[in-house]
Amino acid sequence: MSEAVDLSFLSETERDLILKVLQRDEELRKAEEKRIRRLKNELLEIRRKGAKRGSQRYGERTCARCQQSLGRVYPKSSTCRGCNHLVCRDCRTPGAHGTWRCKVCVKEAELKKTTGDWFYDQKVNRFANHLASDLVRMSLRKKPTASKRDTVGQSLLQQSHLSEARTGMKSTQEPLKEFSLSFAASEPRDGKDSLEPESTSPDNSQVDAVGDTWRNPLEKIGTLRESKKSSEGPECSTSVAVAGKAEAGKAEADDEVQPLGQTLGFAEETEMIFKKNPRRALRPSEYTKSVMDLRPGELSPGNGSLGDRSRSVPGLIADMEEEEEEEEEDIDSLVEIHRQKTARNSLRSGSSLNTLGSMMSIYSEAGEVSNILITGEIAVSLKYEQSSQTLLVRVKECRQLAFADDIKKRSNPYVKTYLLPDKSRQGKRKTSVKQGTINPVFDEVFQYEIPKSLLSQRILQFSVWHHGRLGRNTFLGEAEVNMNSWKLDKPFDQWLPLHGKISAETLASILPQKGELVVSLKYIPASKLLVAGDHKKGKGGNGGELHVWIKEAKNLTAAKSGGTSDSFVKGYLLPMRNKASKRKTPVVKKSLNPHYNHTFVYYGVKPEDLQHVCLELTVWDREPLASNDFLGGIRLGVGTGISNGEMVEWMDSAGEEVSLWQKMRQYPGSWAEGTLPLRPTMARQKLGS
Amino acid sequence: MTDGDYDYLIKLLALGDSGVGKTTFLYRYTDNKFNPKFITTVGIDFREKRVVYNGRGPNGSPGKAFKVHLQLWDTAGQERFRSLTTAFFRDAMGFLLMFDLTSQQSFLNVRNWMSQLQANAYCENPDIVLIGNKADLSDQREVNERQARDLADKYGIPYFETSAATGQNVEKPVDTLLDLIMKRMEQCVEKSQVPDAANGGNSEKLEGKKPAEKKCAC
Repeated sequence: MSEAVDLSFLSETERDLILKVLQRDEELRKAEEKRIRRLKNELLEIRRKGAKRGSQRYGERTCARCQQSLGRVYPKSSTCRGCNHLVCRDCRTPGAHGTWRCKVCVKEAELKKTTGDWFYDQKVNRFANHLASDLVRMSLRKKPTASKRDTVGQSLLQQSHLSEARTGMKSTQEPLKEFSLSFAASEPRDGKDSLEPESTSPDNSQVDAVGDTWRNPLEKIGTLRESKKSSEGPECSTSVAVAGKAEAGKAEADDEVQPLGQTLGFAEETEMIFKKNPRRALRPSEYTKSVMDLRPGELSPGNGSLGDRSRSVPGLIADMEEEEEEEEEDIDSLVEIHRQKTARNSLRSGSSLNTLGSMMSIYSEAGEVSNILITGEIAVSLKYEQSSQTLLVRVKECRQLAFADDIKKRSNPYVKTYLLPDKSRQGKRKTSVKQGTINPVFDEVFQYEIPKSLLSQRILQFSVWHHGRLGRNTFLGEAEVNMNSWKLDKPFDQWLPLHGKISAETLASILPQKGELVVSLKYIPASKLLVAGDHKKGKGGNGGELHVWIKEAKNLTAAKSGGTSDSFVKGYLLPMRNKASKRKTPVVKKSLNPHYNHTFVYYGVKPEDLQHVCLELTVWDREPLASNDFLGGIRLGVGTGISNGEMVEWMDSAGEEVSLWQKMRQYPGSWAEGTLPLRPTMARQKLGS
Repeated sequence: MTDGDYDYLIKLLALGDSGVGKTTFLYRYTDNKFNPKFITTVGIDFREKRVVYNGRGPNGSPGKAFKVHLQLWDTAGQERFRSLTTAFFRDAMGFLLMFDLTSQQSFLNVRNWMSQLQANAYCENPDIVLIGNKADLSDQREVNERQARDLADKYGIPYFETSAATGQNVEKPVDTLLDLIMKRMEQCVEKSQVPDAANGGNSEKLEGKKPAEKKCAC
């Protein structure tokens, strides 16, 4: 994550001294990385042991951790507040103030501390924001910003080595001769790469490495060091040994797989299609669910998210990784059953356009974000066709990706693109999977049909994934291009460094405004409620009523071609995010300024509750047969970050959101109206510090 | 030294004007030695030390002891290294902001260092301790304790007077800083662990009345 530090002012001796310090730092970091990997594996182990498997139906009342049947008796189990899974008594660990979490959540919290994640997450947020002002500039930067764990020391070190290697290659035809690094693993190329079956041609790859567009202010360090290095024979040989080892391992893995390469590739592709079809065939109900919500409440509260498409509110995604992983497994088991049924279909679509196939894939953010150190870069070119209003995205190749499987030194990469903020299935494009290479060549073209005016508000995101066994995909890095900063008539053809996942918060800060929502709120305390007879019973006893009048939205984002949206508003009264608190307006079609004129009523709300609950209203574009598109949202509450004495992410209202809520509280029984800007993402906002 | 046999890696960073004694302070802290010679630090450096931190249990009871590996970054105070040193601020979890009790100027510059920290650290209000060093040179003292303490209070950070030469009070500021960091860490994790979809506990009162009006809302 370093912004360019200009070190040209340093003398040669000074550089050497600093590099020595950095190398010591590197040693410490290596040890730390090892420790962290060990810790994370421990967690994975517990998780794997405990996580529900696809072979079990979710309806079953079993403990999500030990798989013990929980029986019908309610008090025996309870929902963990960390992960929302039903957990039995034995799998809990008590925390402060009589609370508890399940084993996995406790372990996760512990890991956050011991691995330093708590720190790196904050750091990444802060500095990602800085960079976000111009993502393109970021992507032009020489070295991948890589993972959040990267330190300035590390990147300085890498950069100095990198430029060394590069100048080495330029000056001689034999790169190995000039190599003097002990960290060859992070090098773009070396001679041994030519062994790799996947790379187009050895010559090519070398030309690439030289001809690429690193712009490295630290190059000077390298150059100076290099001149010194040429006299240092012995170091040279050791370093080659290191490089050789890594490369040999890789080549080995490649060899092993290569004969199968073709068939495997095919199998993967069809498998992917299989995976989508059965789901479609099996559970048609899902596709209408979030709009109609007529299904009986058969889902237990902990698993309510399964299949609820609208829950993929941007920003919540990260929190749901675990669930997604499980969903994935669920899908796998379905595949088995329906493989034969759908074989025909899939073959047909498989032979049609590549892009079409990828458009239909159902995979979302599934997969683990593991402890992989993100490396490498991706070559892409962009073109905008005025006549057809189409953005053509060519995913060319990647190089020096991380190994998804560090032991086997193996990655099966593919690239996925989104035109953010649209993260729907329609907006997803995927390349084919390349087997066993960290330098895959894709050369696939994706199309996005989008008017020029709208395109400038988008961010094109490339994410690289390892296609793992059983659909367990691993994140290998991503890169973004802000469409706003690309002049459409200029050709765009670049290597973009890959970096770790960009936070939703960062995205929100660079995405344009999303329009406004006009709402009116009224709280009627129990004392003022008309005594309306017996039909009130069962509606929450003595509490008051919260009326939420969704009036209209203004300037919504167009999600459909033709520049309109079919929108509706969904409400939750947090902390409950389940059916009990879910409300929806009808869909208003073909309008960016829809009048909903619809009222949500929440019963049994005590005055003191208003300090602890938060009304979340999100606007969605309804997509029949696909996932609804998120158009924006607001959260109304006190915005203290605290609910019922606990820190919660969602109590993050700010500005007008808070003042409207307080206005409502101040004048019970009368309407408080406000026009609120929609947030582009529902990820937690920073509370004013 | 770095065998990975520790529970936490905590990275601290010392900053302050040139010559206030950052390097000697850290040297005293890690090796309990003193080097009176002034050798200016080139850019950056770091030292390491393993300490034991006694955490607290979930109920505030004395918890178990953790092994903490400290990486103590030393930075050059000289202006010419500024772009390099400030770049390292972001990788530190806590800061030892030092000035020289015998130099009014170094004390005045604390304000500048504070704003550098706010701009370049991992967050806007990182954990910091203020250290007035060279307390043993009482006859040359230019900054009195009141002044320094007021400034520290203004920033809401702890203040210590130390002497790397005698070893006086050298451990205290580091321990305090470590404690601050560990507390912040707990808070951070607690905060992020509370889900947005909490169904349990006190939200129950809302339950049980939904079937009635569900239709109108869908």
